Amino acid sequence: MSTTATSSTLDAAEPSAAMSASPQKGSRKRWHPTTIFASIWLGALTILAILADYLPFIRGYQERVKGASRFQFGPGTDFLFGSDQLGRDMFARCIYGAQISLRVAASSILLGLLIGGTMGLAAGYLRGWFDRVISIFVDVLLAFPALIISILIVGRFDVLSASSSTFSWLTRTWSITFVLGLLSIAPIARIVRAQTLSLSQREFVLAARSLGAKNSRVIFREILPNLVPAMTSVVFTGIAVLLVAEGGLAFLGYSVKPPSPSWGLLVSENRERIQEAWWATIFPCIMLFLTVLSFNMIGDRVARRFDIREAAL
Amino acid sequence: MRYTLQRVGQFVIVFVIVTFVVMVATRIGSKDVARDLAGGAVSDALIERVNNDYPYLDKPLVVQYGYWLKDMVTGNMGTSYAQSQDVVDMFKQRLPVTFFVGFWAIFIGLLIAVPLGVYSAYRRDGWVDRVSSYISFAFISTPPLVFAVFLIYFVALRLDVFPVLSDYVAPWDNPVEHAKNFFLPALSLGMGLAAIWTRFLRADMIITLQSDFIMLARAKGMSPSRILWRHALRASVLSLVTSVALQVSSLVGGAVIAEQFFGLAGIGTRLVFAVQANDILVIQAVTAVLVVTVVAVNLLVDLLYAVIDPRIRHARVFA
Repeated sequence: MSTTATSSTLDAAEPSAAMSASPQKGSRKRWHPTTIFASIWLGALTILAILADYLPFIRGYQERVKGASRFQFGPGTDFLFGSDQLGRDMFARCIYGAQISLRVAASSILLGLLIGGTMGLAAGYLRGWFDRVISIFVDVLLAFPALIISILIVGRFDVLSASSSTFSWLTRTWSITFVLGLLSIAPIARIVRAQTLSLSQREFVLAARSLGAKNSRVIFREILPNLVPAMTSVVFTGIAVLLVAEGGLAFLGYSVKPPSPSWGLLVSENRERIQEAWWATIFPCIMLFLTVLSFNMIGDRVARRFDIREAAL
Repeated sequence: MRYTLQRVGQFVIVFVIVTFVVMVATRIGSKDVARDLAGGAVSDALIERVNNDYPYLDKPLVVQYGYWLKDMVTGNMGTSYAQSQDVVDMFKQRLPVTFFVGFWAIFIGLLIAVPLGVYSAYRRDGWVDRVSSYISFAFISTPPLVFAVFLIYFVALRLDVFPVLSDYVAPWDNPVEHAKNFFLPALSLGMGLAAIWTRFLRADMIITLQSDFIMLARAKGMSPSRILWRHALRASVLSLVTSVALQVSSLVGGAVIAEQFFGLAGIGTRLVFAVQANDILVIQAVTAVLVVTVVAVNLLVDLLYAVIDPRIRHARVFA
């Protein structure tokens, strides 16, 4: 497969796609400044997003404040991020947007991890024809044009849920999670397979085998725990990638529907009026940027700490 | 020869699977394919015409796919009834737009990445290297959408040079206007590419600079710029070139967003519209063209490897 040949060379040549200025310096310190920044940002964002319904200073994302319409308020003490066209609080919408974007990204990466991880583990451990079948499957998946497939599936699932009552539960949140999960299967399967292949050559696996351990024991007690660091890094960088993807799809109108806020949707709603009300477009962008940056930073730190090469999704 | 055959075989398999799956996907939840093809709420006469043009719509999917493939191979991509336009004409009209967005994005990416990557590796851990590594980390984490917003707000609206909404002007008609219209969309995609490629090139370059032939060149008294640009660069561009090829398919996703954002009438804007209207033939044709493009670029890169790096050329001959 054309993509296979090229991307395997890429994997091999990627040691320093793991990123930073000074490779040796930070690794001995426990907490790198970027990690501290990233953890604080993500922690605060997650707490705000989860507790958004209960915190008194976060308005409802649909609540229209009287006199605040037509972008009446810029950023200030009353409206932290200003108000939008309909007098809704941009800060509240950004926080609820975080809730939606993070939930979608996290559940899709879990879906990808569950399916792709199982496939990669099985392929890397069992090898033989099973490995070959999975590898071909993964290569074909990787050859799909991601954007076409995502907007197509989201669009068709809309029709499906509107036309038949069996699928009426299939809301946009479900379809977008499904699509992003589907797209993350192949890269994850590939990374897990590579890791499993190298782990199963190691002495401790040999030792366990010669002690008479069954396959299931070797997989669950020996290999799986050793996959955890790589998986952690994959989850973080993967969420970053999916947040970008979700933002793009939302901008094109193929993620959650309004009035639900998602960062990409907020950008597309307000960008026409960016000149008179910069806050309504710029703040969602900053939120998206800082969140993606934080996930990448943590993913990168974990990858470097455990010297994982295939971590770049 | 065997290698070529293998590649062609793999291409055919991938092409068939991808386009078939996309065709199946266009039928999800669809009750009347002829009506979808005709463009939704239209007169019975038009549906009659669609049924006349495509008499095989009631056959099994595989048969329909066979007919589509036959048409495709003979260069007939069908008609978009919703737009009353031949799909081939649609491509002629819109493909240049998308092509130039992608082309200039790659151009800008390389224009920044090559000098910066080489210099960062040459003066490793110097201030240029440090600054560029922080900036590229930030740029890698910046979605094209965010770049586009910032470029519009801080550049297009402040300077009178670039239009907020771009138009397609062919470079051979008016190069200056072409540059003005394509600079921002291409830059919004190119900066992220530049960041990724700088990292790749820097990493490979550092390894190359430690090799024996560089030491020999240095011992001979060759000037640093000659060593860097003539000898080291050539041996270090492999993963960069690979990455350029790999980015082509994801670049298409970015191009769709850039087109939509800057109001360019390219394939991307049309694709989004086609999915909304379930304009099946347009979706399938765009998919097919995209898959072929990606494969062609990969093939080109494979050939390029041999041109760039004599070691690979020889390895292949002797393998």
